[in-house]
Amino acid sequence: MKTIALGAFALLITAATSGAPATALQPGQPAATVIALPPMTSPDKGAEGNQSLAYAWQATQLIEADLRQTAELMPLEPNRKDYYSYPEVTAPTFSKWRDKGAKGLITGFVQQRSDGRLAIGCYIYDVEKGRELGRTGFVVAKDDLRRAAHKCSGLAYKEITGSPGMFDTRIAYVAETGPANARVKRIAVMDSDGYSHNYVTPGGTTVLTPRLSPKAHRLTYVSFQSGLPQVQIVNLDNGHQQPLLQGPAMSFAPRYSPDGSRIVFSMMLGANSDIYVVGENGGMPRRLTTSPGIDTDPSYSPDGSQIVFESDRSGSQQLYVMNADGSNERRITFTTAAYGAPEWSPDGKLIAFTWRFGDTRRIGIIKPDGTGERILTRGPADEGPSWAASSRELVFQRAEGNGRPAIYRVSLDGSAPRKMTIPQDGSDPNWSGTMD
Amino acid sequence: MRKLLLLTLLIAVPASAQLPGLRRRDAPPPAPVQNPIELLRAAFAAQAGGTTVYFAPGSAQLTPAARTLLVNQAMWLRQHPEVAVRIEGHGDPTDTRNHALALGAERAAEARNYLILLGLPAAQVSAMTWGKERPGPPSAVTTLVPPALGSAPLVPAAR
Repeated sequence: MKTIALGAFALLITAATSGAPATALQPGQPAATVIALPPMTSPDKGAEGNQSLAYAWQATQLIEADLRQTAELMPLEPNRKDYYSYPEVTAPTFSKWRDKGAKGLITGFVQQRSDGRLAIGCYIYDVEKGRELGRTGFVVAKDDLRRAAHKCSGLAYKEITGSPGMFDTRIAYVAETGPANARVKRIAVMDSDGYSHNYVTPGGTTVLTPRLSPKAHRLTYVSFQSGLPQVQIVNLDNGHQQPLLQGPAMSFAPRYSPDGSRIVFSMMLGANSDIYVVGENGGMPRRLTTSPGIDTDPSYSPDGSQIVFESDRSGSQQLYVMNADGSNERRITFTTAAYGAPEWSPDGKLIAFTWRFGDTRRIGIIKPDGTGERILTRGPADEGPSWAASSRELVFQRAEGNGRPAIYRVSLDGSAPRKMTIPQDGSDPNWSGTMD
Repeated sequence: MRKLLLLTLLIAVPASAQLPGLRRRDAPPPAPVQNPIELLRAAFAAQAGGTTVYFAPGSAQLTPAARTLLVNQAMWLRQHPEVAVRIEGHGDPTDTRNHALALGAERAAEARNYLILLGLPAAQVSAMTWGKERPGPPSAVTTLVPPALGSAPLVPAAR
């Protein structure tokens, strides 16, 4: 798959961003921040200028769509009457936007280069204080305008909310087709806006639990190719696939370490499932848990120092946290419900999980110290949460009324889950960090 | 609520069972023949008293009924040492995916260990898990469906 050439823009990136992140815009306030988004402009003249303005309008609309997906930012609809001239991009008027209730402002331009590529710049402003919060610029192929726009959206999101954006990220999931008794399952990977949808496995073999590497260039999943569930690694840039381990043991529930160098996973030896860690290129796995119960679904804290996992050693499935070397195991959930499939948030502050009581499954979150438990969805068959890079939103699997699985996203702000558009049924979604 | 875990015994296909298309010219037209594998499976299911072993929800412990059935299966398999079987474990459908996978594996391992304890050669019995990825076989007929595409028998037919 293509890698965007994000040539940073020496020309533009002259001034560094000043001051603290603009969380100050709306301290601790849940309501969405209104963002002014006048159409991007262009320094180009004549016929070429018109074409550049068309690209600029496209980029503006992409950014608007990105921001509209979020619970935190609310873009004003771009209005063609609000075109800035090129010099005004870096010297905007603020009073007009203050009057419209906007607290943030995004300006930018698109310029065509003689080599056929596009230069894109964007600038984020705090309207109330009348100062710049950040700027970024790229030189990209015309086909990558979309990703450059996502990068602008990501910068705006980060400067205004303080959290990384999730616009230039990928989602992997299991694409399901065919009747219930003969499902064809394939690993699919797409950009989080739904573009660049690709199937990574051919469909003849049952596959499970795709998990992207932090920057979404590689993927680990479970395949039944050998007749047993076993962890596989695939390089998404060149398609190369290989098993994580040699030998006949069942291995499953893989996840990357935050630096992408290791895989933590479960392995069955005899009738016992424990958690192991191994380098991404294989080698001798190191055993981290030794309980006689089922220990599975490990997930690293973002600093790599701890691992959350589920275990039924107490008689029911509960969540446990241990140090990354397997020491200092402690239980963090204690109710009569069952807790499984934990995933640590990218900002380290929360752990998402599947909550189960009787036959009902819902998505919940809890702090790593076991306090602050909150259930986010109503079920009855929700499972497998995975965090957005922003740590403010989750993607998960929901079985619809007809029993068919679909992929939903839910924000931590308490709003209703939204169904994602994919070409067929889908299960077991996984959301990557921001790409390079 | 006893629908829980099923262990399916699949009879691995003896490779040389049949040479398709070879028929002596002067032979009488063959009677409609059932696939010998199907016959073996039917015999196994009938004489062992079933192919599906049930567990309590969330448990991988063999119940007395499960042990009885496994004893009958072991007796039949001892008389047919050329037939390799595969035990496919299933998790509980409302369980989380990876816990179901591990539970199915534990159940399959428990059943396999018991068959070996009863004297079957380890190579005659293999075990794997589907977790909750396959619907459990609702009847003996579906328990005998051949392995799915891409999941070759783990233990080659004994010959």
